[in-house]
Amino acid sequence: MKAGSVVLPRWVRRVVQVVFLILFLWVVLATWTTADQLPRDWPKVFFLADPLLLVLTGIAARDVPLLLLWSLVTVVVTVLFGRIFCGWICPLGTVHSLAGWAFDKVQSRAKRRDAYTGWQKAKYYLLIGGLAMALFGGHWISIFDPLVLLYRTVATAISPAFQWGVEQTAHSVFQADPHLGPLHLTSLSEPVYQFFRDHVFAIPKQAFLGAGLVWLVFGLMVAANGYRRRFWCRYLCPLGALLGLLARWPLLRRWVNAEGCNQCGLCTTACHGSSASGPGQGWRPSECLMCLNCSQVCARESCSFGLSMPWKKEPTLQPVGLSRRGLFWSALGGLAALAGMRATPQGRANVYYHPQLIRPPGARPEPEFLARCTGCGMCMKVCPTGGLQPAITEAGLEGIFTPRLVPLIGHCDYNCTACGHVCPTEAIRPLSLEEKHQIKIGLAAFDPTRCIPYVYGRNCIVCEEHCPVPDKAIYCVEQELKLRNGQNRTVLMPRVDPDKCIGCGVCEHVCPLDDQPGVRVLSTNETRHDRHQPLPPEVPGQEDLPYG
Amino acid sequence: MERGLNRREFLAYSASGVGTLGVASTGLGSLLEAQAQMAIVRWTGAAPASPREEQKVASQLTEKVLEALGGMRRFVKQGDVVWIKPNMAWDRTREQAANTHPDVVATLVRLCLDAGAKRVKVGDNPCDLAQKTYAVSGIAEAAKKAGAEVVYLDRERFREVNIKGERLKTIPIYPEIMEADVVINVPIAKHHRLATATLCMKNYMGVVEKRQLFHQDIPTSLADITRFMKPPVCILDCTRILLDHGPKGGRLEDVETKWTIAAGTDIVALDAFGAEMLRRKPEEIGSVKKGAEFGLGVMDYRKLNPKEITLS
Repeated sequence: MKAGSVVLPRWVRRVVQVVFLILFLWVVLATWTTADQLPRDWPKVFFLADPLLLVLTGIAARDVPLLLLWSLVTVVVTVLFGRIFCGWICPLGTVHSLAGWAFDKVQSRAKRRDAYTGWQKAKYYLLIGGLAMALFGGHWISIFDPLVLLYRTVATAISPAFQWGVEQTAHSVFQADPHLGPLHLTSLSEPVYQFFRDHVFAIPKQAFLGAGLVWLVFGLMVAANGYRRRFWCRYLCPLGALLGLLARWPLLRRWVNAEGCNQCGLCTTACHGSSASGPGQGWRPSECLMCLNCSQVCARESCSFGLSMPWKKEPTLQPVGLSRRGLFWSALGGLAALAGMRATPQGRANVYYHPQLIRPPGARPEPEFLARCTGCGMCMKVCPTGGLQPAITEAGLEGIFTPRLVPLIGHCDYNCTACGHVCPTEAIRPLSLEEKHQIKIGLAAFDPTRCIPYVYGRNCIVCEEHCPVPDKAIYCVEQELKLRNGQNRTVLMPRVDPDKCIGCGVCEHVCPLDDQPGVRVLSTNETRHDRHQPLPPEVPGQEDLPYG
Repeated sequence: MERGLNRREFLAYSASGVGTLGVASTGLGSLLEAQAQMAIVRWTGAAPASPREEQKVASQLTEKVLEALGGMRRFVKQGDVVWIKPNMAWDRTREQAANTHPDVVATLVRLCLDAGAKRVKVGDNPCDLAQKTYAVSGIAEAAKKAGAEVVYLDRERFREVNIKGERLKTIPIYPEIMEADVVINVPIAKHHRLATATLCMKNYMGVVEKRQLFHQDIPTSLADITRFMKPPVCILDCTRILLDHGPKGGRLEDVETKWTIAAGTDIVALDAFGAEMLRRKPEEIGSVKKGAEFGLGVMDYRKLNPKEITLS
């Protein structure tokens, strides 16, 4: 054991990990709007500590939201002390730690082969491929950023599933009202339900499209721990790769006393990152998650961590081991993948416009938007109507999990700018309410084969009533109809004024035809695309001119 | 609901001096003097310029109008659970006149509690997001401060009720409202594109779910739900009225300040009065005609000899 080094007990790390995981879950659940206030900045805090988002956004969008500069703290810590972030803080890492701990209970020790393998270099090559994509505006690998992944999983899959369980149980108990004399089960279930409804769930019945896909990815990630502990962190994680590159020469190093070590292999079996090529030897700081397990399990007290200046030769550090050829091919592979994604109509979003790709107000033009959006789902979590949903196919593979408005599920609230204020990479710009009221995200169109007044000759105009534009984008024209009994009836036929419609989708949302509404909002006329404006505004006072 | 009807009939009898039990329940005074069925109170002083002055005027008007009807005790008994149903449907501020004035609601809460109500609940099924509507309208805060419970209606908890209407056979209604001893209907007078005006009867669209279906025949649907709800007393808030682009409004040009409140036991008469406030004829409002046809009240409110009071 090196003089002056301390061996921390394992529970210290475990407590820190669990605390950060709980903090993360709380931050996800606490991402919501309050009645008339903007969402606060602090739910972004984990993303702000993420240097991968800084690097990717910086390269892809050639711009950096100032708050992301906080992630430089993580960079400095990693350069000095190695991948402490991975081993101690990253909440997804903690999920994998927990999965590994659970697998330890059911799998035999022999199952754990934990010497370093060259396959662990895969994550670096994937990162290089992703960075090459970023040079051409592809922000794609950010959807695999561990914090983004976990945020998306909790916000769009785990939390809605939990909410369904709580709501369904409470409603069932409430409706059936089981009781034993004067003792009603509802006196227990109702306060619990009301607590969750008022303080935990952002909106009732929150649910997201594509949650099954998110569950599948998460399930596979967790299951992979059964094959190799922390499979994700060792082989795939792009943030882990970035931090690994930064942790090439840390001050904090592992010391092994060669005389004391009898190569029993306890250290490698306990190792989270499989950072050593064998018992007591070949330590790679780029792979080490600084879990410090090796120093704790060593029965001969021959393994410890201590500080050493970068220029010191002792203890020796193994390199990351990337080859020039590997770098070349991975960069080329990234570019080929990007080209493949853009070989679809959805991939050429400034040429072809998907009608149902209604981006939230303040979203940048599609290429710039994709150069920033991580698909984390914060905007969807915070949306007070639940209308912001992940795109699964609408934005192509490059835009998977990016937000789009689905008016049938929820509209864009007229007096809300929450999504832009939570977006960690400013893919959605933070807008003032005045700015927001000027932005069109789409255009409504009545379907004369569905709309009740047109098809069935009855008054309805629920849409007109809900239209939030103060002087109404939906207006009515009176029309005389002859009924089948020969009587005449005057019915109000709704129309859309394309100059006024902002595409919020409330008309589609409130239409009594809730399967296929009589009015649909499509992305037509969206402000963010100059070339997607087939209906230029009329000149005030000259509306008659072309028809005179 | 049953109780509300009984009480109302009962009061009608006692007012005409027929019921002998009236002595025990409503006091000797009501036997000597027929109780007013309708009252209108107008503020003729300087227009209130600050929220504080507004609060003063609005609460004076509300107190006076109920006093003219014989006081809140006429409608709310010791130990009652009261549901106050404002029009709190839109994410709009009080200046935009799309929701009931918060100080009117708060005053009613206070009067109910003073009359001995056990609990006073305030809630509506809003069109815009409830969280925002409750807050932006100012009603939630004002009502809570006055001692009410502010209730957010739970979409899952509505119960399909057979209301035996002409147009509406069954409709989901919020059980907590049906279970209240007294439901006090306190809407604002507003323009409505389809219904021409939204007044007391139309305010009951906030106790149901699937409200969009009403739009296909507003007059009959409203008469149906009103008949089911059997209003014991309604307060029509005309402190500010919305004359165009209703019911959601939003433009201050469409708002007019009247500083008037009407209240009464005859919902049709009140709606007829409200129509005139909105510069319409009562016959132009389909639900008023239909309500009179259903026997829910009289269309010519002047027949009721409303007590007219001016404050300044």
